[in-house]
Amino acid sequence: MLEVLQGVVEVLVKYAPLLTEGLKNTLLVTATSFAIGFALGLPLSIARMYGSPPLKLLVAVYVELIRGTPLMLQLFLAYYALPALGIALSPLQAAILALGLNSAAYQAEYFRTAMGSIPRGQWEAALGIGLSVSAAVRHVVVPQALRVAVPVLTNEAIYLLKYSSIASLITVPELLYVSRIITSRTFMYVQVYAFLGLTYVVLGSAIAKLMRRVEAAVAVPGLTVSHARSLTWA
Amino acid sequence: MKEVLRVVDLRKRFGGKEVVRGVTLTVREGETKVVIGPSGAGKSTLLRCINLLLRPDSGKVFLDGEEITAPGVDPVKVRQRVGFVFQSFNLFLHMTALENVLIVLTKVKKLPIHEALRVAKEALQSVGIGEEHWGKYPAQLSGGQQQRVAIARALAMEPRIILLDEPTSALDPELIVEVMQVLENLSKRGVTMLVVTHELGFAAKVADSVAFMDNGQVIEEGPPEEILLNPRNPRVASFITRLWELYDIKDALASRER
Repeated sequence: MLEVLQGVVEVLVKYAPLLTEGLKNTLLVTATSFAIGFALGLPLSIARMYGSPPLKLLVAVYVELIRGTPLMLQLFLAYYALPALGIALSPLQAAILALGLNSAAYQAEYFRTAMGSIPRGQWEAALGIGLSVSAAVRHVVVPQALRVAVPVLTNEAIYLLKYSSIASLITVPELLYVSRIITSRTFMYVQVYAFLGLTYVVLGSAIAKLMRRVEAAVAVPGLTVSHARSLTWA
Repeated sequence: MKEVLRVVDLRKRFGGKEVVRGVTLTVREGETKVVIGPSGAGKSTLLRCINLLLRPDSGKVFLDGEEITAPGVDPVKVRQRVGFVFQSFNLFLHMTALENVLIVLTKVKKLPIHEALRVAKEALQSVGIGEEHWGKYPAQLSGGQQQRVAIARALAMEPRIILLDEPTSALDPELIVEVMQVLENLSKRGVTMLVVTHELGFAAKVADSVAFMDNGQVIEEGPPEEILLNPRNPRVASFITRLWELYDIKDALASRER
């Protein structure tokens, strides 16, 4: 047992630069695609909720296309098919684009649900005091919906962390990719992949912890997920 | 006195049911008009049609002589001149009491922040919400406090008229008094109000005129002493009598068998 552990430590030390590179890319892909998903998902959800009928349809089609096709296919389209259209992306860029656009569709759905959970009276009151529809969305609906959405956003960030591993299929040197290099040289499949799994768990917990801090920082008494849930049950 | 609001033959239908069936009424400057009547009479729908939260199917609404139901009139601009107080308060949940009033001043009236703060604090003071409550969120306030903040929010806009939709129906009895007191003060200050309520006591004490609504129509209207004591319409008479019985504690005690 001790020998096995010693062997693992030796490998980890030896391949530390490669693993660090992998960790860096995993975090980069996760964080950037989450940010793209947020930046696109929020306006998409607003368009779906309050836009003109053609705009609503357009967003609905986008969401269904993304949700209805495998993420891996989307990744291959970004990396192998886009060059045919004259857009050549590096593996890292293609991975970030595919995961970001994918996450945008899911985040749009999360925000849409969160907006739908805001009591109707909030909307009436916003219009009632003389705010325009866009001001009511900006000052009343979105700030409340974002707070309600924090827990599902936590899930989304953890999903992205794990799904970033498929970027290894287009040779992005992220954690899974570098682990495969290491196992191909050392044949220590059990040890290296177990360590990799553990790494994902630790990173996921860190994300969850970070998001709990965000949740606490923006928390408002009487406006939580449990509040939104109690409204759907009522 | 000058007419602030005139509603002419207003109608509103939901699906197959016509909820407001040709209502005509006027509210004059400084007047407190109370609308009473059974639940489902169309009172709330009428109020929502007046500030264009709902589009009336037909009929006209005039604000200061201008037809606000005319095509091309911006409902947002109309609502900036018509205050609305809801039965369930509807304070913005993510804002403190002070912020709930401030948003009207900064985002609707576009006042500079220092002036907005001064006006908001004044508005809150005027409804008896002291400094210790300004930083609290709606969930941390009692129902009576929430409704008073909502009234301050409506007042801050300096609207031509305030529409109040059963402002005390969601409150415990002891909290009804504090809100009614605020409304009475507003009435004395000459704020023009159209109040839908079940509180006959408020109508008796504060109203300049009372309209009785049933089944989508105003079936009798007049000064409170007339409607509340000697209504001509038998439907109004039976409604009022039953409500008075409910509130007449001394009579009820006297009628108990001992």
